Amino acid sequence: MALLQRLKCLVGPAITDEIISRQTLLWLLLVHLALVVPLAEKTTPWALGISAICLVWRAGIFFGKVARPPRLLVTALGLASAITLMLVGREMGVLNALINLLILGYSLKTIEMLGKRDVRAVILAGYFLLSLNLLDNQGIGAMAYAIGVFGLNTLALLSLYRQKAAGSAMFAIKLVAQSLPLALLLFLVLPRLPPLWVVPHLKSSTTGLSDEVGFGDVEKLTRSDALAFRARFDGAVPANANLYWRALVLEDYDGAIWRQSEFIREYEKQAFSLGSSRRPSGEPTDSYEVIAEPSGQRWLFGLDVAYSDAKSVVNLPDQRLLALRPLDGRMQYRLGRYDAPMDLNLPALSRRVNLTLPEDSNPRTLALAKELKQQNPGAEAYLGALMARFNQDAYFYTLTPPPVGRHQIDDFLLDNKRGFCVHYASALTFMARAGGIPARMVTGYQGGEYNRDAGYLSVYQYMAHAWTEVWLEGKGWVRLDPTAQIAPSRILDGFDATFDASEAYLDGNYLSAHRLKGIPWLNELRMRLASIDYYWSLWVLGFDDNRQEQLLKRLLGSVGDTRFIVTVLIAGFALLLLIAWQAGLLKLPTPLPLPIRAFNRVEKALGKRGIARAISEGPRDYLSRAARSLPAISAMLLDFADAFEAARYRGAGPEPADLMRQSRRLVRIIGNQAKVTEPEPTASASHG
Amino acid sequence: MSRFGIKLEPFLAKRLPPAREQTLSHKGIFILPSTFGLVWLLLVALLFLLATNYQNNLILGIALLMSSLFVTCILYSYRNLEGLSLQRLTLPTVYAGSTLPVPVRLSAKRDVHQLSLEFAAMPPCSAAVTPGPTDVLIPVTAPKRGLFNPGRLKVQSSYPLGLMRTWTWVDLDICHPVFASPIEAPLPLVRLDEDKAQHDLGAWIPGVDEYQGLKSYIPGESLKQVAWKQLAQGRGMLSKDFAEPQGAPRWLSLPSDSVSEREHGLSVLSFWVDELSARQQIFGLSLPGLKIAPSLGEAHRIECQIAIACVGAPPELIQRFSARR
Repeated sequence: MALLQRLKCLVGPAITDEIISRQTLLWLLLVHLALVVPLAEKTTPWALGISAICLVWRAGIFFGKVARPPRLLVTALGLASAITLMLVGREMGVLNALINLLILGYSLKTIEMLGKRDVRAVILAGYFLLSLNLLDNQGIGAMAYAIGVFGLNTLALLSLYRQKAAGSAMFAIKLVAQSLPLALLLFLVLPRLPPLWVVPHLKSSTTGLSDEVGFGDVEKLTRSDALAFRARFDGAVPANANLYWRALVLEDYDGAIWRQSEFIREYEKQAFSLGSSRRPSGEPTDSYEVIAEPSGQRWLFGLDVAYSDAKSVVNLPDQRLLALRPLDGRMQYRLGRYDAPMDLNLPALSRRVNLTLPEDSNPRTLALAKELKQQNPGAEAYLGALMARFNQDAYFYTLTPPPVGRHQIDDFLLDNKRGFCVHYASALTFMARAGGIPARMVTGYQGGEYNRDAGYLSVYQYMAHAWTEVWLEGKGWVRLDPTAQIAPSRILDGFDATFDASEAYLDGNYLSAHRLKGIPWLNELRMRLASIDYYWSLWVLGFDDNRQEQLLKRLLGSVGDTRFIVTVLIAGFALLLLIAWQAGLLKLPTPLPLPIRAFNRVEKALGKRGIARAISEGPRDYLSRAARSLPAISAMLLDFADAFEAARYRGAGPEPADLMRQSRRLVRIIGNQAKVTEPEPTASASHG
Repeated sequence: MSRFGIKLEPFLAKRLPPAREQTLSHKGIFILPSTFGLVWLLLVALLFLLATNYQNNLILGIALLMSSLFVTCILYSYRNLEGLSLQRLTLPTVYAGSTLPVPVRLSAKRDVHQLSLEFAAMPPCSAAVTPGPTDVLIPVTAPKRGLFNPGRLKVQSSYPLGLMRTWTWVDLDICHPVFASPIEAPLPLVRLDEDKAQHDLGAWIPGVDEYQGLKSYIPGESLKQVAWKQLAQGRGMLSKDFAEPQGAPRWLSLPSDSVSEREHGLSVLSFWVDELSARQQIFGLSLPGLKIAPSLGEAHRIECQIAIACVGAPPELIQRFSARR
């Protein structure tokens, strides 16, 4: 509201006789509807309610059923909304509060519009609102919709300045369409800046992994076929068994829940100022690109050992990657994969954290660990024995494990022997720590579905996984996946080979497109659509300075500054010329017919000799008069008059080219004649 | 015109010389962003910041589309005025202190939208032009007696999106006599001696409405004079010219030559010229350096009024005016 009031002052003084036309009102009504619908999920119910009332009221005014509401009521409503929003703003997030405020201001302004100045303020707010909707909806559809609303809003603005309704819509479309190429050029060449300051983020529901994992948590992810991220490798795609996408490292265990350590959580909070903490030595063995779907979380995904020099990514000390801002929209970043050990030297703090076990928990497991440790004193032998135990004993992989009691790991490891990845990873980590080996739980995703069309991997939420990392002297952190001992096919062949639709992992999700994998052509279609979406992410959403440089290098060869600027200027100028030409502003001069050019040439030569043509004089009269003045060449002049008349008016006679030649000869001869001194009519020369 | 205190007239005089009829072209069309256009750019900047801070290419796309639309509007705002022809039609008579409606015929090859025409210090009048000619009357106040030049006509438009202020200043080459505003006062009548001999010549029979004929209607003239019958016959807009001479020829002249009382005297003369014409009396006008022989009728009245209007006008203006008649 305050923003709109301010805008009003800027837009200019009121002009009383400016009446808003009916068509403007109609377009505004449509824009209002089109703006509010997609933003509805970000709007509080009462803001949505007020907006709906305003919309209906506006429609009522449009159809002449109700009058404009009293100004006092609108102001009171606006103030009340602003105060309420200020009160709840903290809990709903600044950005959401801003969106609500804008929607309310927009809606209230529409019903009390008086002059064109008000309409202009509303239209500007409309452009802003349609952009806000793109904060987290970044699909092709959302952009197409936004451009549609953009056109409609532009049409509303146009109708303020154009009385004639007919052709307005076409013209608005034309305006926007002709502006697109220049916008595209700017999009390609405009330098991309890193975020300038920390901005409030959208408070949207978070999806995907959680930073707290207990014995029932990954289960809900396995029921989701939503995309988590996509990855494209520059080299060969690693085998499925190596695709362990690390996302979170959980080091604190209280007997029920695994959490991130205090130190890392603090680091994440200050990541914007702290920046990356590590830099791998040597060259990456492979590089790849990840496009993460919006999750509302900040953690990112990478294979071990991953390092990214993208501006918006922080490389954390626990070998993870963190985004500077929560992923409201898709985020794309490049990664290098390094073949290096993780943390050859373990800091004392880290060692202590990763050896800590909760007090008074799982006594039977502790006893078992003690026994195994005595049998296998070496660290690697001990771990081998643990892994072998999962393999040889009757452990089962299931997504619907039986309930466990207070001593979770005891119950699972020694009694139930049924569970999924979190159970096995918990147990292994616990036992490793019990045996004096620093160990931690890692969660993330395992595997990926390969899209042959576009050559990328899709990783879905149901591929969420948990495993263990143990720290060994001279080797650093080493990955151990106990689940692979139970259900090796899950790791070796990927999820879809292990589970079919009858399994629990997509239970209750009957509409999922993943259920259609059995039907080849439908599956093909699904992959095609996914490819389009992927390229959109890659080339539009993820078009950053790297990709820009890459593209320009491909288009221009080398990227010299001068060459770049000149090319951009030429291209921009060409686009402007194109618009001007389409607008009918550029007309090539139509050349005069050849006979007239021939005559003009002769006339000019004669004019120089002092025989100018009077305005009222026809070509024949003029040339006859010239023939009388220049008796020496009178025959030639009369010949030319005959030829010109035949060519010009009868369409017969000599070829135009011949006439031109004749005129050229004549001009030469006239040039050799003496200047005629007889008085001539003082009229300017022009062609006949 | 001199909004920024810069004297533009010498520049404009060279670029846009006065002419009765003009066609707008790139020579005289000026384009600058309007206030709304600047606010628009501010919004573009705001969206750019939003896009940068959220690293959102789609919002960046919207911002770029808006700035590119801004550029497109420059071309279209030029296109709106380009090729517009303005032709000044014959101006109606006007008395000092009243409003002179300047008739202008607008024509263009294509539609011209949201046109606003204004003389300095006057409220703008808006017009839209279709390819056929459109006649508009643009008001301007004629403040005082004399040969009047209302200055340049500002032709302005914000089409298509109000982002641009596109305008030009057209000098329609107006040098129009503004009649002295009539003041009713005792008649400064003089009977010149030399007229005595011709006294009988002026004896016309009074009381007969003598219809002098038709002349073409001048926009702004009283509708009472319009020859409606002829209009209905499709002969166009004509106005009836009446005259009814009566009585002896009289001479009107300035009572004194003092400059301080001149304007008042001229106003009184103006009143009597009209009054005697309305009474259809024959009269002559004697002004310093100018004598108009006694006559009567509308043409005579106008001639006398013009003569009164021209008293004291700079000679080059009078020359310019009379050259045009």
